Amino acid sequence: MGQIFALASGCDATQLNLTATEGYLLSRFDGSTPWRVLREMAGIPAADADSCLDRWIDEGLLEAIRNSSDSNSSSSASSSSAQTDSDGEESAPVDAAEAPSETPPAPQIDESKFDEGLDLDLSVQRRILEFEASLDQPYHRLLDVEKGSSDPKVIKRAYFKLSKEFHPDRYFRRNIGPYALPLERIFKKVLEAHEMLSDPDLCQVENQSSTPSAVETVVALPATEASPEPSAEKPKPLTKLERLRQRMPFKIDQAAIEARRAKAQEIFRAAEASQKAGRLQEAEANIRIAISFDPACSEFKEALGGLRIQAAGARATKLLATPSERMSEGELRDAWKLLEDVLLYRPHDPELNERAARVCLQLGKLDVAEEYAQTYMEGSPEVAGSHTLLGRIHRERGDRDAAVRAFERALKLDEEDLDARRALASVRLGARNEAQGGTA
Amino acid sequence: MSRVIGIDLGTTNSCVAVMENGQPTVIPNSGGYKTTPSMFGITQDGKRLVGHLAKRQAITNARNTVAAAKRLIGRRFDDPEVQKSIDLSPYEIVRGPNGDPRIKAGGKTFTCPEISGIILREMKRVAEEYLSETVQEAVITVPAYFNDSQRQCTKDAGKIAGLEVLRIINEPTAAALAYGMNRPGEEKIAVYDLGGGTFDISILDMSDGVVEVLATSGNTFLGGEDFDRRIVQHLVEWFEESEGMDLRSDTMALQRLKDAAEKAKCDLSMRDVVEINLPFIASDSEGPRHLKFELTRENLESLVHDVVEGTLKSVEQCCVDAGVQASDIDQVVLVGGQSRMPLVQRRVTEYFGKRPHRGVNPDEVVGLGAAVQAAALLDSKNDMLLLDVTPLSLGIGTYGGHFARLIERNTTVPVSKGHVFTTTRDDQSAVKICVLQGESDLAAENDLLGEFVLSGIRPAPKGEPEVEVSFDIDANGIVSVSARDLATDKEQSITVSSTGTLSDVEIDEIIEEHDLYEVQLRD
Repeated sequence: MGQIFALASGCDATQLNLTATEGYLLSRFDGSTPWRVLREMAGIPAADADSCLDRWIDEGLLEAIRNSSDSNSSSSASSSSAQTDSDGEESAPVDAAEAPSETPPAPQIDESKFDEGLDLDLSVQRRILEFEASLDQPYHRLLDVEKGSSDPKVIKRAYFKLSKEFHPDRYFRRNIGPYALPLERIFKKVLEAHEMLSDPDLCQVENQSSTPSAVETVVALPATEASPEPSAEKPKPLTKLERLRQRMPFKIDQAAIEARRAKAQEIFRAAEASQKAGRLQEAEANIRIAISFDPACSEFKEALGGLRIQAAGARATKLLATPSERMSEGELRDAWKLLEDVLLYRPHDPELNERAARVCLQLGKLDVAEEYAQTYMEGSPEVAGSHTLLGRIHRERGDRDAAVRAFERALKLDEEDLDARRALASVRLGARNEAQGGTA
Repeated sequence: MSRVIGIDLGTTNSCVAVMENGQPTVIPNSGGYKTTPSMFGITQDGKRLVGHLAKRQAITNARNTVAAAKRLIGRRFDDPEVQKSIDLSPYEIVRGPNGDPRIKAGGKTFTCPEISGIILREMKRVAEEYLSETVQEAVITVPAYFNDSQRQCTKDAGKIAGLEVLRIINEPTAAALAYGMNRPGEEKIAVYDLGGGTFDISILDMSDGVVEVLATSGNTFLGGEDFDRRIVQHLVEWFEESEGMDLRSDTMALQRLKDAAEKAKCDLSMRDVVEINLPFIASDSEGPRHLKFELTRENLESLVHDVVEGTLKSVEQCCVDAGVQASDIDQVVLVGGQSRMPLVQRRVTEYFGKRPHRGVNPDEVVGLGAAVQAAALLDSKNDMLLLDVTPLSLGIGTYGGHFARLIERNTTVPVSKGHVFTTTRDDQSAVKICVLQGESDLAAENDLLGEFVLSGIRPAPKGEPEVEVSFDIDANGIVSVSARDLATDKEQSITVSSTGTLSDVEIDEIIEEHDLYEVQLRD
């Protein structure tokens, strides 16, 4: 049962008078697969297979190699194949091309993967592994249709045939163990092959090149409108790209986009008119519509930002008129929120950053305050006040050296800056007091 | 192994089927009917009724009788379709805590999956009585245009009914499976499904047991009930003109009118004229008023002509999507009770240039198909294979509010698709991946299925980093999305599995509660 046979050396299988099934069976004797497995795959009744075996042994075609000690352990299969190799036996004497039923050479399958415990015939297991190993073939080979064939009926028939064999639903709830993944991979590839072959444009491309993979090529495509920043271009075959581009996953109707843009501009002009007339709400609503028509236009967003500032202006002026030192905590929080809103549209505006820094300083949010103050200072480095403000934040944080440096810079820019002078004095005083306290 | 049933959970009627000796068979309920009204009611004394029993008392108890909950399932309360339902339904629809619509009946508030669950439980019971064994698994059908959330809620409904849902399949596809079973040869067919509440059109390619969906289109809010409503509206207007009385605020009169309209509509499929006779429809100081009206077929056809034309627009769209001409279609299969209407049959015949197939019962074919799919999955002897498709496009939101489609609708599953995206700002360290489903080019107009952030991108000028986003849909329709930074191989992914509005805990609570009522449901 578990015996392993190999074709006798020097025997030429092509000279024999065999039926297709017999030829297929004979081609399977590779010197490593146990007879028990081969018999399963023969596709003929077990008794017939046995009689073939007997006949071939009698005729001297086959030689027994060794008895597999444990016929149930799949690992023994691999160890036995290793042993035959080391014995120097011819492990695959029958060239696959000679097998009548095999057109493309069958890839070598690691039989140790076979698992009798699964709800899957060994012949099916072999077929799955073999097919998976040959997925890199050109699409027409994969579907087994003639190269250049574009008859949709032929392609569809081939596709349906393979679907019936490999669609995961055919194995629903069956114990197929590790075969689930290969099956899904195979079906997806079959799907891809059908998709490419049934598109005449792509079919031509495929016939020119060898083995494209849809995923890879799509990946290499420069992005379109949808993601306006293209990723770094990779070296690519151009004609194929161009054809693929026409059927990109997100095809975009340029005419429709142009129409939307024109519409957006029109609405935007109306918005500008309302803004000039002081009807801010109406203007904002219109700009929003314009943005929804052309979301990529930054001009609209800037305008909306400007409008927002202008609209928030009324509230803001009132709020900002009160020095932040005199605000209640609730007011401070409101002010901060308002400022953040506005800053979204004018992130580098020095005045806004200054206010934000003061408000946050007041709220004790020193990290944020420093960020704003830094931006303020970078925006207007020649203004003494920016350095003073930064210095005060440093002082609050307890970073005395940084504070002193900032105040000194402020005084260098403007000797009259009383704020800075006073602050510097108090920091120095504090430092001195501390030093004295330390020595005492 | 216990048997698996197929359930057509309809807007107005439901149907259950099972495979017997290799052939799908509809299971009649205890009253001998092959379909059961998808209705649920609570009587004054708190008794819960389902199916024919609920329908029988709908007139006297309109406020506590829920019909057509399928129109609400899986939608948001703010959905215009839900708002339309609120105006039309005799029962009360309120906003749930998750922004979902909920239904008030008998002093209790029900979620939509709960109502559908009650109907499914009744169908399960019908099957169990017939088979004399417990049933635990089912294939359930939904309209092709149901989105992810609506499908998920239907699955939840199955759970509430104590059923494990093996698959959710599209109604027209199910019809095609039932039609295509045991049919040799290659055919292109169109399934025109005009049911109680929805309209679906699908074009399929079939050959020796393999059924491939080429395209599908439709309208989730158009169906036989719209026909009824047109008749009711007409009757109300006529009554107001002739009698000077407005029946619009009289729920009981409206329910009677609705029943009479439905009956008249069905009768007009066989006859040229019917008399609608509703004595004592209303009364005022001058005494009781009676409604007596003669409705002709021509009359009806002029009332609903535009609705039928609307369905043909979807058919045209579907043909374009499938890349076929109307004349390429070998067979047209009509599904859904409303497709019996002579006007519908005439227009469909004119459109396709051939008479529709007459071999299937439009009320039962979907349920039969669900049973066929159950067998195709589980019975190794069954040779059918359905190559199903995703109903809506999937993609991600990109800079500028655009929607980048990675998987087009009507793509056969299982499938994987990937694309490389990049950053839009200098030194951007993270990208947010919003997984969207829908057909609009604008991200905001599509449904958000989930989102995640891929962080740790190395600082680089904008446009330089490469992030590969891949979508994967497995054979069960479960979507997973991953994003990988090609420079660092860092990866982040999600599985979009549950977007239903109920949590597992909530479902368990509901199941427990319904077990208490099981006794009442049985009488």
